[in-house]
Amino acid sequence: MILLEVHNKIIYEKIAQAFSSTDEKADNITEQLADLDGVIYHLTSSKKEGYVVLSISMNGYSQLVKFGADEVLRREYGPYIVEPESGYDFSICLNQQDLPATEEERDALYKKFSLLKRNLLAAPFEKAFIAQENKQTTEIMEVPYRDNESIYVFALQDHVTVIFSTEFKEDTDKIFGKVFLQEFADARRQPAVQTAPQVLFSKEPPLELRNLNTLRDSEDINYVTFVLFPRHYTEGPVREQTISNIPLFRDYLHYHIKCSKAYMHSRMRARVDSFLKVLNRAKPEVALDQIEKKTASGRTFRKFK
Amino acid sequence: MNLPPVVIDNGTGYTKMGFAGLKNHPQFVIPTVIGTREGNADRGNNLASKRGIEDLNFYIGDEAIANSKTYSLNYPIRHGQVENWDLMEKFYQASIFQYLKCEPEDHLFLLTEPPLNQPENREYLAEIMFESFGVKGMYIAVQAMLALAASWKKSERSNWTLTGTVIDSGDGVTHVIPLAEGYVIGSSIKHIPIAGRDITYFVQQLLRERENSIPPEESMEVAKRIKEMYSYTCNDIVKEFKKYDAEPSKWFKEYIGQHSVTKKEYKVDVGYERFLGPEIFFNPEISNSDFTTPISTVVDDVIQSCPIDTRRGLYRNIVLSGGSTMFKDFGKRLQRDIKRVVDARIQRSIELTKKVLKTDADIQSNAIEVNVISHKRQRYAVWYGGNILSTTEAFPKHCHTKAEYDEIGPSICRYNKVFGSVL
Repeated sequence: MILLEVHNKIIYEKIAQAFSSTDEKADNITEQLADLDGVIYHLTSSKKEGYVVLSISMNGYSQLVKFGADEVLRREYGPYIVEPESGYDFSICLNQQDLPATEEERDALYKKFSLLKRNLLAAPFEKAFIAQENKQTTEIMEVPYRDNESIYVFALQDHVTVIFSTEFKEDTDKIFGKVFLQEFADARRQPAVQTAPQVLFSKEPPLELRNLNTLRDSEDINYVTFVLFPRHYTEGPVREQTISNIPLFRDYLHYHIKCSKAYMHSRMRARVDSFLKVLNRAKPEVALDQIEKKTASGRTFRKFK
Repeated sequence: MNLPPVVIDNGTGYTKMGFAGLKNHPQFVIPTVIGTREGNADRGNNLASKRGIEDLNFYIGDEAIANSKTYSLNYPIRHGQVENWDLMEKFYQASIFQYLKCEPEDHLFLLTEPPLNQPENREYLAEIMFESFGVKGMYIAVQAMLALAASWKKSERSNWTLTGTVIDSGDGVTHVIPLAEGYVIGSSIKHIPIAGRDITYFVQQLLRERENSIPPEESMEVAKRIKEMYSYTCNDIVKEFKKYDAEPSKWFKEYIGQHSVTKKEYKVDVGYERFLGPEIFFNPEISNSDFTTPISTVVDDVIQSCPIDTRRGLYRNIVLSGGSTMFKDFGKRLQRDIKRVVDARIQRSIELTKKVLKTDADIQSNAIEVNVISHKRQRYAVWYGGNILSTTEAFPKHCHTKAEYDEIGPSICRYNKVFGSVL
């Protein structure tokens, strides 16, 4: 798995189970689940009454609403929106009788429910993209989606800039991250990916953000900047793809840091194994104190104790 | 941020994983198998052979089995112990990021280990969790202890105890494990070479002798389905046979299968194997001539070999765990059989005492309470036990934290605080 999956596998499977006629396992579910970036879901379903309720709570929800999350959600989940459950920000409900007739349509609907987090985060991006297409600029939209980390999105005259602040809890992670992002810059020189957006990595906050007063000053915070040009968000599948992948970038980065560490560990294990082999070879076959030493005349020595 | 802890129970056959929550069930139950490209797993020590990111090209669980034509399947866990840590690390990588989708830095983890696990294995696990994934904190629990915790009833909090005997029967092997106050009494653990797979073989053999409508290539699968759907434990085989002969229409069932290729339907009569399958726990000689000790005797032997002051507690709390203990009335039958052995022993000791004392006076002995506990969550008992413990308030205090690991090193996991001391 190179790219992280956008949809949430648990939600997708649980909803499918709740409505499938052959699966006798799930009758009533009340579960609390987590997703990347501190998202908490609450999933309730009843097989008898035939409904599923999915609630989400997310950091920075109030900011997202300011940037038009309501409209995006209404567009995506219109008929399914219900009053949010207490303790959660947003709830959707699916009833058995509203299910589409064909298998594919149903599957698509389950998929759509499992994309709730992605659609929630899509709002500031859509807003910026649309503004830029109309040659307008926007303010800096800040989404504090994790405790110490934020996404900043804003449209300029000719492009859209997305900046992540990301926190590395460990020093080694910082170095891995840096190498990884330098590799990104190098990879862009290959002809196949030249149209990819530009990625910049910096320890200091980029100039655009300097005058924000919400910035947290810390050694551990680093900034990743994406510069998106209109070709990256032409309306249609390209734009959807961009919106799906960009917010996942932070997790993608941390996932790959972990994968590289796992790879290093497996190399280290292989190395230790080969060293152990060498050490085992160096062992004398008979222990030194058990070798009998004889003089020329055939007499042996005895150790005094 | 208050995110739920993650509970992962890696068994030989299946991995049970999910987020902990008061009413949660394991969110994924997948086979513990990883599919890698040919030769990837144990290629020599040659760094130059690495090209690109092929170390990310693998599948786990059902996806690995679905892709078994192009990927070679590896089972990183054998007999409950992790054999290949490279593959296990990848397995965790995919479990966390692809299946559970969580950021390990934000969650506490509860992982399980078999009884008598080597401390080195715990250190390896700690290394993987803290160094590769940087988890916030983790706890390694003994599976048997979790199975005990799973049998606790919410209403009777005062009865929560970590003393008891766990009978853990999965697909491959059955263990009988005594625990006192959360500690495994290692010298008394016994294994029984009868488990789910043996019952399936036995049912298959019975069907083969009688039914000729089953396509041979599917007989194993049919036997498994029949075992799961119709089997139960009976009180007395002879009576059961008579019951079947008197009223065949009431007791004989019919299983309708479909051939996977030709889609032809076939019918299989299900008769005595309904109760004979599970019976091999209690009378192993009917299927296997090498091992003839009934499960009740094994349990009794195990408890008798434990320190004398723990024995009453061990008899009082015999807990079942694993899929092969799910047969109807299995617990009741086991309880009756153990009770018989125990009562016979007490009777004999009374008689012997009388003889020694040379009196006819009435000697009374305190009866020993034997309880076999069955409950609904038996099949994934270990996971549910982990779920219960990780939702308690004390859980974060018991975890080994990243800070401790950085300060001291993997040796912190050699010792675990046992939950019993705080509950």
